[in-house]
Amino acid sequence: MLAERIAEIVGRDHCITDAAELETYSCDGLTHRRVRPAVVALPATTEEVAAVVLAAREAGVPIVPRGSGTGLSGGALPVEGCVLVGLSRMNRILEVDLENGRARVQPGVTNLSVTAAVAASGWYYAPDPSSQSVCSIGGNVAENSGGAHCLKYGFTVNHVLSARVVLDGGEVVEIGGPSLDPVGYDLLAPLVGSEGMFGIVTEVTLRLLRKPEATRTFLAVFPSTTEAGNAVSGIIGAGILPAAIEMMDALAIQAAKAATGLAWPDEGAILLMDADGPAAEAEDTAARAVEIARAAGATLVRLPADDAERDLMWKGRKCAFAAVGRISPSYLVEDGVIPRSEIARVLAEIAAMAGAAGLRVANVFHAGDGNLHPLVLYDERIPGQLQAAEKLGADILALCVRCGGSITGEHGVGNEKAQAMSLMFSADDLDAMSAVRCAFDPALRFNPGKVFPTPRLCGETPGPYRPHPAELAGQAERW
Amino acid sequence: MAGEAARPGEAGDAIGGVIPRAVHAPASVAEAAEVLRSAAAARQRLAFLGGGTDLGTGAAPAALDAVVRTARLARIVEYAPSDQIVVAEAGVTLAALQAALGRERQRLALDPPWPERATLGGVVAANAYGALRTRYGSVRDLLIGATLVRAEGTVVKSGGKVVKNVAGFDVARLMVGSLGTLAMVAVANFRVHPLPEVVETVVVPGLAPGAVWGLVRALRGARLEPAATAALGAVARLDLGVRFEGFEKGVRDQAARAVEIAAAAGHDPVRGEAAAAFWGRHDARRRAGPVRLRVQAVPAALEAVARAALAPLEALLADAGVVWYPALGTGFVSGAPAAPAELAGAVAGARRALAAAGGTLTVAAAPADLAPAPDPWGPQPPAFALMRALKERFDPERRLAPGRFVGGL
Repeated sequence: MLAERIAEIVGRDHCITDAAELETYSCDGLTHRRVRPAVVALPATTEEVAAVVLAAREAGVPIVPRGSGTGLSGGALPVEGCVLVGLSRMNRILEVDLENGRARVQPGVTNLSVTAAVAASGWYYAPDPSSQSVCSIGGNVAENSGGAHCLKYGFTVNHVLSARVVLDGGEVVEIGGPSLDPVGYDLLAPLVGSEGMFGIVTEVTLRLLRKPEATRTFLAVFPSTTEAGNAVSGIIGAGILPAAIEMMDALAIQAAKAATGLAWPDEGAILLMDADGPAAEAEDTAARAVEIARAAGATLVRLPADDAERDLMWKGRKCAFAAVGRISPSYLVEDGVIPRSEIARVLAEIAAMAGAAGLRVANVFHAGDGNLHPLVLYDERIPGQLQAAEKLGADILALCVRCGGSITGEHGVGNEKAQAMSLMFSADDLDAMSAVRCAFDPALRFNPGKVFPTPRLCGETPGPYRPHPAELAGQAERW
Repeated sequence: MAGEAARPGEAGDAIGGVIPRAVHAPASVAEAAEVLRSAAAARQRLAFLGGGTDLGTGAAPAALDAVVRTARLARIVEYAPSDQIVVAEAGVTLAALQAALGRERQRLALDPPWPERATLGGVVAANAYGALRTRYGSVRDLLIGATLVRAEGTVVKSGGKVVKNVAGFDVARLMVGSLGTLAMVAVANFRVHPLPEVVETVVVPGLAPGAVWGLVRALRGARLEPAATAALGAVARLDLGVRFEGFEKGVRDQAARAVEIAAAAGHDPVRGEAAAAFWGRHDARRRAGPVRLRVQAVPAALEAVARAALAPLEALLADAGVVWYPALGTGFVSGAPAAPAELAGAVAGARRALAAAGGTLTVAAAPADLAPAPDPWGPQPPAFALMRALKERFDPERRLAPGRFVGGL
């Protein structure tokens, strides 16, 4: 019935009910958790999205929005009986306004294609998750995606000016506006990072930046992550704000080399840093950072001869997740944050925990902001190893929280880390988050089963409303 | 009640002319929570008061039983220079915070007016900002977490103490600009930045609005990256100040290039001491009143905004002046009412003109006796129904600064 109705709305070719085809949508980048949706709708317009939402509401079934499905936390994991709304057909860049540095795009546009559309004019879109060539802007908004360069340039939330959202009642609301400080509550702040649980975003206005005049990159090799960590602290402590500063440990280096054929030395750690800005500034900043890296014990510092070599260095870093597939049958990608100054201590502890669990962990991370990506290597053919790997991953997150950090820096909570939210937040903290969600989606229609460790209800507004004596006396109105 | 007993409210505790019956001054988050719990039990209407630098924003509250002053919430809870984060209570003044950060050669990159009085809680609640917003963004770009006391007295945390963190919905940022109508901001966690080694300003005097935009666009085209850009003066004749900050080489190089670009456009740029004095004038104008209007539009519309919105307002004010942040498309018009009867109408007219440039106007300050009083907020925003739903979820009894926010929230 519902599938029929959806087929009428989006067209038969864009309504998927075949079991084999539905399987494609049963997971996102967190591939070991799967649930097959009841039906997949691939709408092409905001109006179609609104009609699908209303149809699902009438049928009383949940809705799970999905962008490119590259998320690593199960944020787009379907729930039993749901309508999965895939936004991949809404992939147009609607307007580019370089005078004001803005672009209006549909949610299915990939992150990198925004930059591609404006690069020739010397502009770009700053947030750059490693999956940027395939991940969608809608997904970026849902997860508040970051990337290697967000230490200096910020996350998705710092680059979204407005969004059009379809709510559970089928209403279409514009949140934010073309200029800064729109009047009213800053609803965009919680909407970005709401993990698809507030509604479906169907248009987004993004802030674009001028491409910096110069970028100076260098790669520094260290005997171990301790010296590399000290170099990071030294660079930051000297008042340098790198555009990006990335670290890889020995196992990650080995994997990246296997995947790219890069001639990196087999040492304990590599730092890859970008300094950008006006040419004189980028030059000077990079030179200062190189000096600090050498003083911290770098055994080798390499400056790329040209853009091609620079791109290759970055390719080694950006492909590191996938590269780990070369050295292990399977792996889990973790995403935790620690205070930057704790890097050396936490890495040592992770190594000890991995040893005790009989597993290997490769570390690739955004060192400037303490965002770790431990890759837990395992072999699913060995009974119990997946469970052991999941437990190690969870233990690493708990360690991050104990150090004053976070269970996720950029991948989102999704389904995977919902239980871990209790490590960071009390029931009261979660109630406040739930209150925001309930204001947007009181029926809890959108993307259930994510973020919260236990199911929550909205009910009526908290606490019975009792009119104030002044209202009863006619001296004040309620709204 | 924990801590100091409430004292009776006085004229100096008034918000929007409404004098509260009682004033509380909790000295800890736990005491603040106790105050809010007691107030909830007695169903009292409350407002939160820091340094009072932005009390002119918003409508007068419908009624106030008590004001909660944050002055004694004045502890810096945690400061980790190597992690570049600071956690401080709401009543810490911006100046006190900057002094502590300055000892480690760091700063919070927020520079609203009256740093000696402006408190962190107030800066968050009012979304206050200064010229550094050009490079570092506003409160929402620097706030990484908060401890809030909800209307019924529950203490909740949002965000965290690390710069990069996407765990859970961002309740902390939602407080930015909410004027204390959703919850009390008791503790704010910020990202901090290194203090620059060198600062240099280039001033280009006597520009028409179109020339200001042309020059800002040319600097952008040359890929210069000023830390602060502001235009100051009368609408028809603005001085543009461009400040570069950072390491010596980069700053001197950029200042020299900015001078070249301005000179090539036929202007007379100034460097050195004379230029540095620009920021004192800027700060004075930011504090000017008693009428102060906060204006936003898309940046490229400056010429039209100046003609259709800023100039007509300026014409109705004595000692009038404008501060405009051209790279951001935001600014302030201020002065004394010279034609009080016409001001409310001119504010409405300016809003219509701004709407064409995607812009808005809010009243940041106006004398209480101005009649007719200008509408503090203007038309309800498109997402008002969601804002009302949010208010109902956070303050269902409508006890927190009732009526002060947009649309009577």
